[in-house]
Amino acid sequence: MLMNSPPALSNRLSVFSDRNFRYLMIAPAIFILLLVGLFPLIYSLVVSFQNITMTEVDYSFAGLLNYNQLFKDVRLWQALGHTALITAIALPLELCLGFLLAQLFLEKMPGRQIFVALLVLPTVLSPIVAGATWRLMFDVRFGPIGQILSFLAGKPVSILWMVNPNYVYPAIIICEVWQWTPFMFLLLLAALSNVDQSQLEAAELDGASYWRVLRQVVIPAIRPVVTVAVLIRGLDLFRLFDIIWALTEGGPGSMTETISLYTYVIGFVQFDTSYTAAVAFLVVAILSIVVTIALRRTELAQ
Amino acid sequence: MLNRRELLGAASLLALSPNVARAQGKNAAEVAVEAAKKFSGTEISIVWEAGLQSLDPLNYSGPKWEKLTGMKVKVVEVPTDQMFTKIMQDFRSGAGAYDALNVIPSWMPDLVRAGALENLDPFVDKFGYRDELKDIAPAYRDNQMTVGGKIYGFPDDGDVMLLYYRKDIFEDPKMMEGFKAKYGYNLAPPKDWKQFAEIGQFITDKMAPKTYGAGFFRTPPYPQYMFQERFRMEGGKFFDAETMKSTVNSDVGVKVFNGMVAENKFMPPGVEQWNFVDNLANFLQGTTAMTISWPPYGRWAAGYGSGEVALKWVPKSQVAGKVGYALNPLGRDELGVGFALSVSTTSKKKEAAYLFIQWLNSKQISLERVQLPYTLRDPFRTSHYESAEYRKLWPDAPAYLDTIKKAGETGLLDLSLLQQDKYDEAMTRAISSLWTGEDPKAVLARMASQFDAITEKVGVDKQKEVYKAWASKPGAYP
Amino acid sequence: MSGAARKRRKSGILALRYSIAIIVTLIFLFPVYWLFMISFKTPDEIFHVPPLWVPGEIQFSNYWVLFQDGDVIAIWNSLVVAGLSSAIAMLLGTFCAYSLARFNTGGRNLAMWIISQRMIPPIAVVFPIFLIYVYFGMVDTYAGLILLYTAFNLPYVIWMMRGYIVDIPLELEESALVDGCTRWQTLLRVVFPMVRSGLMATAVFTFVFAWNDFLFALILTRTEVVTFPVMLTHYFGGQSNFWAKIAAMSVLGTLPIFIAVTLMQRYLVRGISLGAVKG
Repeated sequence: MLMNSPPALSNRLSVFSDRNFRYLMIAPAIFILLLVGLFPLIYSLVVSFQNITMTEVDYSFAGLLNYNQLFKDVRLWQALGHTALITAIALPLELCLGFLLAQLFLEKMPGRQIFVALLVLPTVLSPIVAGATWRLMFDVRFGPIGQILSFLAGKPVSILWMVNPNYVYPAIIICEVWQWTPFMFLLLLAALSNVDQSQLEAAELDGASYWRVLRQVVIPAIRPVVTVAVLIRGLDLFRLFDIIWALTEGGPGSMTETISLYTYVIGFVQFDTSYTAAVAFLVVAILSIVVTIALRRTELAQ
Repeated sequence: MLNRRELLGAASLLALSPNVARAQGKNAAEVAVEAAKKFSGTEISIVWEAGLQSLDPLNYSGPKWEKLTGMKVKVVEVPTDQMFTKIMQDFRSGAGAYDALNVIPSWMPDLVRAGALENLDPFVDKFGYRDELKDIAPAYRDNQMTVGGKIYGFPDDGDVMLLYYRKDIFEDPKMMEGFKAKYGYNLAPPKDWKQFAEIGQFITDKMAPKTYGAGFFRTPPYPQYMFQERFRMEGGKFFDAETMKSTVNSDVGVKVFNGMVAENKFMPPGVEQWNFVDNLANFLQGTTAMTISWPPYGRWAAGYGSGEVALKWVPKSQVAGKVGYALNPLGRDELGVGFALSVSTTSKKKEAAYLFIQWLNSKQISLERVQLPYTLRDPFRTSHYESAEYRKLWPDAPAYLDTIKKAGETGLLDLSLLQQDKYDEAMTRAISSLWTGEDPKAVLARMASQFDAITEKVGVDKQKEVYKAWASKPGAYP
Repeated sequence: MSGAARKRRKSGILALRYSIAIIVTLIFLFPVYWLFMISFKTPDEIFHVPPLWVPGEIQFSNYWVLFQDGDVIAIWNSLVVAGLSSAIAMLLGTFCAYSLARFNTGGRNLAMWIISQRMIPPIAVVFPIFLIYVYFGMVDTYAGLILLYTAFNLPYVIWMMRGYIVDIPLELEESALVDGCTRWQTLLRVVFPMVRSGLMATAVFTFVFAWNDFLFALILTRTEVVTFPVMLTHYFGGQSNFWAKIAAMSVLGTLPIFIAVTLMQRYLVRGISLGAVKG
């Protein structure tokens, strides 16, 4: 589904096919992609086998020095763990909440367009703005969150969201889910709108319960979209940087450091250029494996 | 006997040499201006901390320099946490986009080792700046200017952390009586941390929630300077000089950490989340009776510069005229952070850049700059401390200047080793963990092992050398 | 159930849906409201304890400061960079997508490679790209950032537009070609109008991605081409977070996006649905 055009297509158009045309069409795009996509990877590969640090620029072949360090680097694996944790919690949350919202707005209602336009707002904000806003909202004295919680609890609630290790992850996840649930909502709304009405009605007439209809008609119909959404969002969550930068800068300590943040620290604060390249390769490798598996599974499912 | 013509000839020959410029009464600022005129029309860039700090070159010194010499100054504003990155990035790529730099002195060993900072000695000699350099207060001159005996930066900011306290509360007869009755000694700025805790608790008991005994900033990146000071003054050493193994997890370390946690109890609730501005706001609003911070607090508490648009974000001081200045408990204050002016080795306009920083740093111009109402640059020259002009700025200014002068004289240096930022980070992370309630012993043990890991990565022998050199300075350990 | 009862039940459900919808929207928009509000507050109001939910009066001095200091140039820079890069990405990407969709050019391998480009974490490539840019003197230039954002948006554009194009029945193009149109004319006059919603939806998101990018803008610019997110981080100082400025600048920086989204919103739902479903 993702990759294949129906075979008939190329045959029919082959009558008109203009070799040059089709390559001309892709040329500029591919050229730009190569420029920016190829050299950096080659450079990183080469550099990762050298020994360039902040104070020494040693271009000689240093073997697997940097890659060895990867395995011993506790902070690196912690960063990967943090990233996985955030992804594992935020993604399902966004999916479920997005689904619920989509159900809410599924049937026509006057003014739906306005609601949709408004709800899109968190997603189009810059993650830096989102992080900054929530940082101020969570502030124990100047932010309304504390006020609201105190009101609900009936007694003063003083949580140091950004400092208390029990609350810093919830804070990040709240901000992240707030920002991206609307994205899931839009996608799911579109997908749910396209579910075959006739099938739905048939199932209802058969007297099927809500859950059965959901499982047997709706979910299979929206699976392609959900797959795409999960893939996109999952990838983005893995690369999470801006929002954490604005909220906690990886703190307290390095407790909320995601892999991108850690890479930034070793690359642009400590200037361990070679080691950074090795880490970058590790990240790309992990991503490639995950995505390949995911894509293959979705294709098999079809 | 020289005839008139010969005399004139000799006189004009003498006038051409730079040393005579001084003999003729030209100070370093004037010398710089004169020499810079030949660069009129060129533009140099200088990296400066974004925000309040940049107002100085943007609104005052940059335009003034341009008027005097015709040289344009492009101020590259960079947030503090990006400064090191941008400087190294530029250096590494050879881009040469930055001519002059502001650097934090504890970065200097790393930057010099990487080759990013230009040695300034030749320029200093060429333009006769050695004299005025001597006027810089010893604390900064001897510790923030050179690496390996060579000059790499001009200290430009008299950063030192001092104790601010509410004179009115300390001199209130009822408070004094009650305190003496309870603790047996006079109510006065605390001489050690035990007294600090007692005074703080006493004031909180009597005056909370209107006023608490004290408040500190507790969030990164600054508390680690307070830790450095306190740890050393209580007798701690960062490393064993022979083995270079870290000794921060000694009993002293535990004592200091325990003390810090205990203090939070008599400070306003939520103090663990306070940053620089929270702490400032609370002190200015009268919520805390004692705090430790850099010199700007003193100026702002006195209401100096309160009309400035740039300082609108500073809460109005309710305590003007009520603030006293003292050295920190145990008597020696940390020279936290600071700034030095340097020239980048990749600059293509080194001499022009150098002349600008000599001018900025000169006796005459620096005095003007530290008096700007919105400045964050603190007095750093002996001539500043003694300046009649400065001493008139607000009623307590003389006491203020005297205190920071004394603090500077006995100031403690920030730890400054290779890859110092990694050690700083370990300290910062440890302190953050402290507020979450983790056992201080465990936190310190972790910090010590992180220190050791960093030392190993740098190279024990290399670091040992640098540490020995640092530790031998009078400001390193009491 | 009688007809009338069913009607009442339906309107009851509708009312319920409306209430929930309003509550949900309010919750989601509350942080945005807070941000707006701070931008209108005075410093004393911002640091007021307990927090004030409504500013004393709507005062624009925080915005005025941004104009005076010239920080507003960041908005302009972002507009130029994001706008141009989106336009170029849309153009080149759609062409490429057409070729992939109709001719299966490069087959599966090319398609997979293009998608893989979107997966690259920016942090992994930013330093080498910085070095290239230094070599070509492109650091801190408009062209540099535009090229970069174009490159990073191309995979997304190609991916999405390919999906939309595949959906269009071939007959339309074939009849146009039979009528004597050239390839180009077919593309411009038949295909583009048919995928209009897809184009708009993709264009909006492309613009948003470029507008909100932080890491590349941070590393690849210095003073000339400071974009909006980078300018924002300048206000998080060591000594102070200028919340007033942060809020005002955030609002200014979000307005263009919000306008773009509002104008395009009727294409959005339709556009995303067509694209994502066919993917």
